[in-house]
Amino acid sequence: MRCNLISTTDVKEIVVNVENLEVSFGEKKIIHKVSFNVNRGEIIGFFGISGAGKTTIIRVLTCQISQKNWTGYVKVTNLNPGSKKNHAKILSNIGYVPQLEELNLYYDLTPLKNVEIFASCYNMKKKEALAIAKELFSILDIPEDTWNKPLKKMSGGEKKRVSMAIGLIHKPDILFLDEPTTGVDAAKRYDVLSYLKKLNRRLGTTMFLITHDMEAALIVDRAAILRDGKLLEFDSNSNLITSLPSKGLVARFSIENLNEEKINIIKQFPNVSNIKTIRVGNETFEVLMDDFEKNLSKLIQFMMEKGLKLNAMSRDVAAFRRYFQLRIQEEEEKERRIRMQQETSEEVQF
Amino acid sequence: MAKSKTSDNWSSGTFFNRLRYSLWRIVRQVKKEFQLLKIDKMNLVIALLMPPGIIMLFAFMSTSASVTIPVKVSVVSYDSNTFVNQNNYSITTKWDNYTEMYLDAVKESELLELIEFYDASEDENEYAMETARNEMRDGNIECIIVIPVEFSELLTTGYPGIIELIPDASDAASIQDKLNAVQDSIKIFVEENDLDPEYVLQEYEEFSVPSKYNFRYNYNMTVLLPFMTFGISFVLTILVVVQEKPIARLLLTPVQKAEILLSKYIVYSIVLALQVFLVLTVAIANGLYVAGNVIDLFLGLYMLGFAGVSLGMFVSTVSNTKTEANQLFFALFIVIILLSGMFVPIDAMPDYLQNIAYILPLSHGAPIIKGILSKGKSFIGFDFFWLLGISSVLIILSFLVINRKRYEV
Ligand SMILES: Nc1ncnc2c1ncn2[C@@H]1O[C@H](COP(=O)(O)OP(=O)(O)OP(=O)(O)O)[C@@H](O)[C@H]1O
Ligand SMILES: [Mg+2]
Repeated sequence: MRCNLISTTDVKEIVVNVENLEVSFGEKKIIHKVSFNVNRGEIIGFFGISGAGKTTIIRVLTCQISQKNWTGYVKVTNLNPGSKKNHAKILSNIGYVPQLEELNLYYDLTPLKNVEIFASCYNMKKKEALAIAKELFSILDIPEDTWNKPLKKMSGGEKKRVSMAIGLIHKPDILFLDEPTTGVDAAKRYDVLSYLKKLNRRLGTTMFLITHDMEAALIVDRAAILRDGKLLEFDSNSNLITSLPSKGLVARFSIENLNEEKINIIKQFPNVSNIKTIRVGNETFEVLMDDFEKNLSKLIQFMMEKGLKLNAMSRDVAAFRRYFQLRIQEEEEKERRIRMQQETSEEVQF
Repeated sequence: MAKSKTSDNWSSGTFFNRLRYSLWRIVRQVKKEFQLLKIDKMNLVIALLMPPGIIMLFAFMSTSASVTIPVKVSVVSYDSNTFVNQNNYSITTKWDNYTEMYLDAVKESELLELIEFYDASEDENEYAMETARNEMRDGNIECIIVIPVEFSELLTTGYPGIIELIPDASDAASIQDKLNAVQDSIKIFVEENDLDPEYVLQEYEEFSVPSKYNFRYNYNMTVLLPFMTFGISFVLTILVVVQEKPIARLLLTPVQKAEILLSKYIVYSIVLALQVFLVLTVAIANGLYVAGNVIDLFLGLYMLGFAGVSLGMFVSTVSNTKTEANQLFFALFIVIILLSGMFVPIDAMPDYLQNIAYILPLSHGAPIIKGILSKGKSFIGFDFFWLLGISSVLIILSFLVINRKRYEV
C-alpha cells in the first residue's frame, strides 16, 4: 500500500459549500433552493434525468453562469464564484473534464502537446507539466507509444483518459466531470469508473461527477438525486438504500400477462402499510415492503388467492438504480396528489 | 504529489505580477497558434507559397506578351490618281500615287501587318468594303484603313490628306493600341515623303516605367500586389477563432479570452510579415520597378494586409459556425472587390457608392502601392491612416465581440 493514501475520514474540510442556490434564466427558475456541502477527497455523484439541472449547478460552481442569474451562498475552495475577480483563482483550483472529447481537445496534436497547451494556461512550466502528465498517463494506463501520436488516432476510451489527465494536470483541489461515462461503450464504462476511483485514491482529488449512468454510483461516496431543479437526496449509497423498507430487500416476481391492473391488485396487499412496487420488465416487477421476511410468504399467498399466475420469483438487495427509480416515482406520485388536491380545491372555489 | 507552486501564486500579487503571468500565457498561446498553423499545411501553402507563385506566373505571362504583336489591317482605297475630264473623257492630269506610298509605310511599320489591299477605284472591287467588313467580323483583321477618293489629289496640291480608320471596337480595351499602330504608319508615311504634317503630338511620359522594365508586368503588379496581399490575409484568418473548438475548455482555465485573441493577432501579423517579404522579394526579382523606397513598399503593403487580417479576425469572432464565417467572407469580399475601383473607377460611381467604396479597405490599396511604385511617394498618407483606422476599429470590435460571446463546453 502506498503511504500517501488520503483518508477521507480524518478532519473534514469542506471544499464546496452551497446554500439555498437558486438559478433562473429570465422568468424560468431552473434550480430551487439547493443546499449541500462537499468534503475534501470525496467523490460526489449528481444523478438526475435529463433536464434536472445537473449541468446548471456545475456551471455555477465553475464560474460559467453570471451572478445575475443566481442567488444563494456558494463557495468553491472558499471563494465565491459570483465575484468576477475570484474566477481566475477558482479556475486554477479546479479541473474540468467535459463530456465530449472531440470538442474539447486538439485532435490533430499529440496527447503531450495537448497537455502542454492546457498546462500553459495555468502558467505551468513545460517540464513540470510533462512530468506530471507522464505520471498521470501511467496511472491511467495510456500506452506510451500513443503519447506522441495525434490524438485522433487514439480509441475513444483512451481519449477520455487523456482528457481526465488534462483535467488533473495542475493538481486541482476538485475535478468536475460532466457525464464521464456517457458515450463510452458498456464494457469500458467500468474502466472509466475504476480509473476515477484510482485517481481519487492516489491523488486525493475531490471529484464531482454528474451523470445519468446509475453504475457510477458504484464509486461515489455520496450521491445526490436531482429532479426538476430540486435536490431530493444527498447521502451515501448505503444510507440511501438502507432507508428503503426492510433495508432494501427486494422480491422479484415474474407474472404471466402482467399489466397495471394486476400491479394495482398487489398494491392492495393488506398486511403492510409501506409497500412499494416497481415494474422492471415486460412480465417482471419488484416489491419492497416493511417486515420483508415475515410478509413475503403472505404476499405470495395473497397473489395466488387473487388468481395471479407466478412464473418465477427471486430475492435480492436493491441497487442504487432501484433506489433512484423508486425515489423519482415517489416524487411523481406526490406531485400528482398535490395537483389533484389543487384541482379539487379550485373546483370548490367555483 | 506536492501542490504545484506555479498555479498557487500566479493570480494573487501585484498588478505587475499579474501582468507578467498574463504575458507569459500569451507567449505560450502564440506557441500554440504556431503549432496549430503547422498542422494546417494547406493554410501555410496559401499564406506563403501561393502569393510568390502567382507573381511568378504573372511575370512569366507578361514576358511573352511584351513582344509586340502587330495589328492586322486591310486597306481599302478609293483614291484615284487620274483626273478625268468630264466633257471629253480624256485624262488631263495624273497625280502622284500617294496610296502606294502609304501602303509602303504600312508595310514598313512594325506595329501593323497588312493582310489585304483592295483598290476600290477599280470596277471589279466594287464590294471591297463589304469584303473587308466580313473579314473583320471573322476576326481575320482588326482594323480597316480607308483611303478616300481625293487622297492623292489633295496631297499633290499641298492640302492635308485624310485617312479614315475603322477599328474593331468589340474589344474596347485594345482600341488605343490600334490607333497607336496606325499613327505609327502615318508617321513613317510623312517622314519618308517629306510631307508637311498638320501637327505633331510629342509626348513626354511622367511616372512611367523606365523602358528596361517590363511595362505590362509592372502595370499588373500595381493591381495584383494590393489585391493579393489583402485577399490572402483576409481569407487566412476567417476561420482561426471559429474553428478552434477547444477554446471553450481553455476558458475553464485562468486563461482570458483577450489573451487567446491577442495571440492570434500576433501570430497572423508575423505570418503576414513573412508573406509580404516573400511576395516583394519575388516581385522585385522578376523586375518590379520601385521608384520609391522598398521599405515604404513593405510597410504600405503590410498595412493593407493587416487590414485584411483585422477584417478576417472580425469575421471569425462574429461568426458562430465555419459556414457562417465562409458566407460572411464571401459576401464581404465580393463587395470589397467590386467597389475597389478595379472594375469601375470609384469617381465614376454614384455618390452613395463612392462613400462606401472609400470606407472599404481595398480602394486604398492601389493608390498607396502606385504612389510608392511609380511616383516614389512614402507609404504615409491619407490612405495609410485610413487603413490604420479601419484596422483599429475592427480590432476593438473583435475584442468586444469575443468578450460577449458565450462559450460552452
Ligand atoms: N442558458 C439557459 N437559458 C435558459 N434555459 C436553460 C439554460 N441552460 C439550461 N437551461 C434549462 O435548464 C434546465 C436544466 O438544464 P441542465 O442542462 O442543467 O440539465 P441536465 O440535468 O444537465 O440535463 P442533461 O442530463 O440533459 O445534460 C433545462 O430545462 C434547460 O432547458
Ligand atoms: Mg447536462
